[in-house]
Amino acid sequence: MSAFEPFEQFDEVEDIVDRLDDPDPGTRRVAVMDLADSADPSAVTYLKKALGDEAREVRLQVALALAEFDGPETADALVVAVVDEDAGVAQAAADSMAELKDPAAADPILPFVTHESAFVRAASLRALRELKRTESLKPALDAFSDEDATVRSEAISVVGYLKTEDALPALMSMLKDVEPAVRRTAAGALGFSVTTAAAEALAQSLTDSDWQVREIAAETLCKVQSTVAAPALRAALTDEYWQVRQKSIRSLGKLGVAEAVPEIIPSLDHDISNLRKEAAAALGEIEAPEAVPALEAHLDDPDPDVRKNIRWALGRIRSE
Amino acid sequence: MPLAQQSSSVPVVVDDDKCIADKGCTVCVDVCPLDVLRISDQTGKAFMKYDECWYCMPCEADCPTGAVSVHIPFLLR
Repeated sequence: MSAFEPFEQFDEVEDIVDRLDDPDPGTRRVAVMDLADSADPSAVTYLKKALGDEAREVRLQVALALAEFDGPETADALVVAVVDEDAGVAQAAADSMAELKDPAAADPILPFVTHESAFVRAASLRALRELKRTESLKPALDAFSDEDATVRSEAISVVGYLKTEDALPALMSMLKDVEPAVRRTAAGALGFSVTTAAAEALAQSLTDSDWQVREIAAETLCKVQSTVAAPALRAALTDEYWQVRQKSIRSLGKLGVAEAVPEIIPSLDHDISNLRKEAAAALGEIEAPEAVPALEAHLDDPDPDVRKNIRWALGRIRSE
Repeated sequence: MPLAQQSSSVPVVVDDDKCIADKGCTVCVDVCPLDVLRISDQTGKAFMKYDECWYCMPCEADCPTGAVSVHIPFLLR
């Protein structure tokens, strides 16, 4: 035995393929699992053929196995599986499709963005997101008016991943969607932009009726790096949800809004330690000397993370 | 006083009707970090040979047919 013998010896694809014609579905299923383990790109052709299997569990295994492969051929097989009559097979195919990384895999998927089933449309858009092909922009923008909320959400993510400023007006219009989940995705997707228009739109979302939309808007505003939203963020410090206040404090700190210091200081007394922690960090970030007495008064906060941030903030302010 | 010489139950239980180890599947045996599962010579199904479970769960999660269930002792849950 040579020293370079492989630790595990897998069967050749040809040997496994014979077992795909076995009368027993269990054996066919194990053959599919072995094809996935082979990591041999030539296995994809056989896997696609196995999608015609009459046994549901075999097709399910194929949908799972295809996650191990990439490229247009894999995508070509997955679009067959994603329209499978069995919901479990279709779901597994949708999940495998989202694992694709090769931009060339987008070509077989693109036509399915307008499929009659909302599930297939959403799955296709979800897969296209990470492939970041400019060709996905147009179909994704068209899907903004889809009747299904999940499809609209996935379409927004596709556009958000492409990061084109041209799509900004369309993305901002989705902040007015009827569905809170869609508005949440839209608020998060605007993070790539550094324009005042995006900041103004997100500032408006700080008064959204859904608190999670407000939270994401507040969080995204620190990425947009524009201080036009500073007054709206300061107003959000009186939000009834501490989660919204926490993200607003963080963004105000990152943006260095010194006017907000007196409004941030009361949060050092809040019951939720995450909020106190964020307040201490923001006060340090802004380097506000007027916050020193308030920070010193909380040096013995019961939460170690808060104490750490207070000391960090004081050190930063005093080193000036 | 009678003493129990063998444990009557083990934490990893395999449903023989669902297990497809006799068809060539060895997923649970392969994923077990303690290597305590085996394929039975008699039945061709997977079973727990050594009772040294860490309750880490991949055998249950990765079983393609959902045949494996791990019974976590109450005090560990």
